Amino acid sequence: MAKYVAKRLLLTLVMIIIISFAIFVALNNTGVDPISFKLGLDNYTPEAAAELREKLGLNAPLVVRYLRWWKDMLSGNFGYSIAHGYSIRSGLIAKWPATLEISLTAMIVSTVIGIGIGMLSAIWQNSIVDYLGRMIAAIGNSVPEYFFALILIQLFSVRLQLLPTSGRVPAGAVTFWDRLPNLILPVAALAIPMCGNLMRYTRNTMLDVANQEYVKLARSKGIPEWKVYIKHVFRNSMRPVVTVLLFRMTLLLGGSVAVETIFSWPGVGQVLTQAITASDYSVVMLYTLMMAVLMLTISFLVDLFAALLDPRVRLDK
Amino acid sequence: MSDEIILDVKNLSTVITTDRVPVRIVKDVSFQLRRGRTLAIVGESGCGKSVTMQSVVKLVSRNYHITADHVLYRSFRSGAPKEYRLDKLAPYGRVMRSLRGPEISMVFQDPMMSLNPVYKIGDQVIEGLLQHNPGMKKREAWARALEMLKKLGIPAAEQRINEYPHQMSGGMKQRIVIAIAMICDPQIIIADEPTTALDVTIQSQIMELMKQLQTEDRKSIILITHNMGLVAEMADDVAVMYMGRVVEAGPIQAIFENPLHPYTQGLLKSVPVLGMARDKPLIAIPGSTPNPADLTEGCEFAGRCPYCEAACLRGVIPSFEAEPGHQVRCLRSAHGEVN
Repeated sequence: MAKYVAKRLLLTLVMIIIISFAIFVALNNTGVDPISFKLGLDNYTPEAAAELREKLGLNAPLVVRYLRWWKDMLSGNFGYSIAHGYSIRSGLIAKWPATLEISLTAMIVSTVIGIGIGMLSAIWQNSIVDYLGRMIAAIGNSVPEYFFALILIQLFSVRLQLLPTSGRVPAGAVTFWDRLPNLILPVAALAIPMCGNLMRYTRNTMLDVANQEYVKLARSKGIPEWKVYIKHVFRNSMRPVVTVLLFRMTLLLGGSVAVETIFSWPGVGQVLTQAITASDYSVVMLYTLMMAVLMLTISFLVDLFAALLDPRVRLDK
Repeated sequence: MSDEIILDVKNLSTVITTDRVPVRIVKDVSFQLRRGRTLAIVGESGCGKSVTMQSVVKLVSRNYHITADHVLYRSFRSGAPKEYRLDKLAPYGRVMRSLRGPEISMVFQDPMMSLNPVYKIGDQVIEGLLQHNPGMKKREAWARALEMLKKLGIPAAEQRINEYPHQMSGGMKQRIVIAIAMICDPQIIIADEPTTALDVTIQSQIMELMKQLQTEDRKSIILITHNMGLVAEMADDVAVMYMGRVVEAGPIQAIFENPLHPYTQGLLKSVPVLGMARDKPLIAIPGSTPNPADLTEGCEFAGRCPYCEAACLRGVIPSFEAEPGHQVRCLRSAHGEVN
């Protein structure tokens, strides 16, 4: 087990280095010259550009600049937005808590509801719970987050006037209950599609496992049905479900870009949309790198879970 | 019902509904299992032999509809025999579950698929034991499991008990499955093609093992198989099934020495024998099994039977007693025509 984890961890680190290098090279070759942005049209002269280039260290070889980039990042300096001049540390990194607040809440909510209803759907196959669950799953799977966001605003904010349309109450002096109304709609918009996906996946995997011979053997031991489902069916369905769940996390963060814009939620999604429209490549680069690191971390977690749940993975030489 | 009969099944039928079309898979099956004996249920794939036994213990899906005059199980466990009407019990109710394991247990066909891949061998063996002995300590159960593995001839049992199914060979896994079936000391073991997935040398070891357990502990075995050689070796009584019906049943000598139903005769002739004359062709039953949904009336075997006549195509063919204890469902026996 320890050897397996160490191997995966090493692999993840190597992947991060390769991907970060690829991102660095790719964005360096986009043809967007940061210097012209920095100087602006009015001040641009070739001499001034060359001087600034030298000052910013842009004449150094690519590899040297790449290593410098990492060195700065590791010491907490993430650079500056080229278009707007803000430090990425305060402008992007500091926005993560707001994004994680809605996406993690959405993940927890959709995991509990999605897996829960998926399980019941499988146990009571072809019952009313199953039909309703499958209907919700079909809708959740086919309608994107931003569409739900618009419908939810229309219904709960405009028509019923129950919940605020947008904004975030920052953490601090206020209680959780003061902050909750602003959270509900964005979380719901993110959670519904994910919920649908997990429901369908949990149901289908469990039905698949329930038809296995070892489940029949478990029943032939005379153990009660709930034990059959928890110990034998659910446990063996967990591995694929956890894989889907964790990989949905990155989609959730991607989805939050649109949802944050709709709800004026001050998270990284908003920063990213601004950065893309302004060709603000240092911000885009860092966002891309963060997403890549997150994806690799999740991959690592998936492997870790697989090993914990399945001895065939754990004991593989 | 004689004292020595432990399981008495009378007119058991199972209808399976798939896509709203009901199909009768098991039709009026009756048989009796004697205590300490082996009953073989023989027939080709798809004849309903597995469904019959799963219907008896009610380990079936919701789309199976089971009816029977009676399915009577007689427990000889403590003192006076206690009778259970299995056909009246809820499939996953408390009483039925209390019988599964300590009274009736099963060994399934494919040892590769019968064990849960994520639990240790030992945990899977003791699961039933802990279920049926409330208050038993896990350590005690573990010791019993270890003892059982040793009894079943598993080498290095102390180490094996801590391993996972994927670390074992097919023969070892089937021994584990037998250990799971035996751990609660049941009176009936239903073995559904227990050796089909194994190679021949392992096959004989496994059967040897079951035979030994039977003689030591006076267990009754129901052996579901299509292997006539295995039947000859193991069985005391035989029931031959064809398309959901028992077409011939009786003691082993009667079936092997004086087979009366054309299907049984065909089945016995089609077994290849080592040292058989080279120029002699292997006889096969002509045609193939019909779709069970197409069978509405008459003898199920009529389409493939060399002796088929007009009367065979009408109604339900009744069962005749050709000699004491030897039943056959064929009109030729009614006429007294024998071979």
